[in-house]
Amino acid sequence: MTAWPIFLCIASQFFLVAGQLLFKRAMDVHHPTPRKIAAAYIAGGMALQAVWFFVWLGLLQKWELSRIFPFLALNPLLMVLAARMVLKEGLTIDTWIGVVFICAGIALVSQS
Amino acid sequence: MRLLRVFLNPYLQIFLGAVLDTAGQILMRKGAEAVGPSSGPLAAMGFIPLASGWTWLGIAAYLISVTSWLYVLRTIPLSVAFPLISVIYLLVPLSAKLFLHERISLHRWLGIALVIIGVFAIIRPLMRAEERL
Repeated sequence: MTAWPIFLCIASQFFLVAGQLLFKRAMDVHHPTPRKIAAAYIAGGMALQAVWFFVWLGLLQKWELSRIFPFLALNPLLMVLAARMVLKEGLTIDTWIGVVFICAGIALVSQS
Repeated sequence: MRLLRVFLNPYLQIFLGAVLDTAGQILMRKGAEAVGPSSGPLAAMGFIPLASGWTWLGIAAYLISVTSWLYVLRTIPLSVAFPLISVIYLLVPLSAKLFLHERISLHRWLGIALVIIGVFAIIRPLMRAEERL
């Protein structure tokens, strides 16, 4: 089974993406959030990032780094997709092109 | 006042945040090296390098970079800011080569080049928009 660790590596990035979405919602001056709620979002975002970190450590204990690390490269793409779908951010063609190059580059850099 | 305005430019802050993040990684690696390899349950969680001052400097740099990132998110769309952070994939290997004397393979250089092209593709239209202002 080679697909399973790859799937887990990609799926676990949900925590990273959700964390950044909360950070953005908390800080955004164009969509002001009441201070208390913003503080809760930031705490929640940090917690989600921490959850990802431990899930990732768990994955690393089971599988070789070189096998799953390149799939972390999808992170910018997942982030941009989530910003588009959840935050309704408008994306230009330049952003898509840039993200594809960046993901390809990270995948290359992270192969050992 | 003018200098402060330049300093608070969110795009500059993305870059400064990436530099601080890089400094954090290099310092933490230096801290881990200074302490040396170890074993046991504490080592498995990565606690041992906390004995080195370098590690704490690294953590401080990382925390400042988080503050800078939250500031960036005030005004810049996540879909623009997040991909730009990828300049760390250039900065970290370069710093590792300069300060830790690690080697970078041709393979990696190629990946770094792709990341730079991607970052450039995203900021180029933004720079043009800034010129018009």
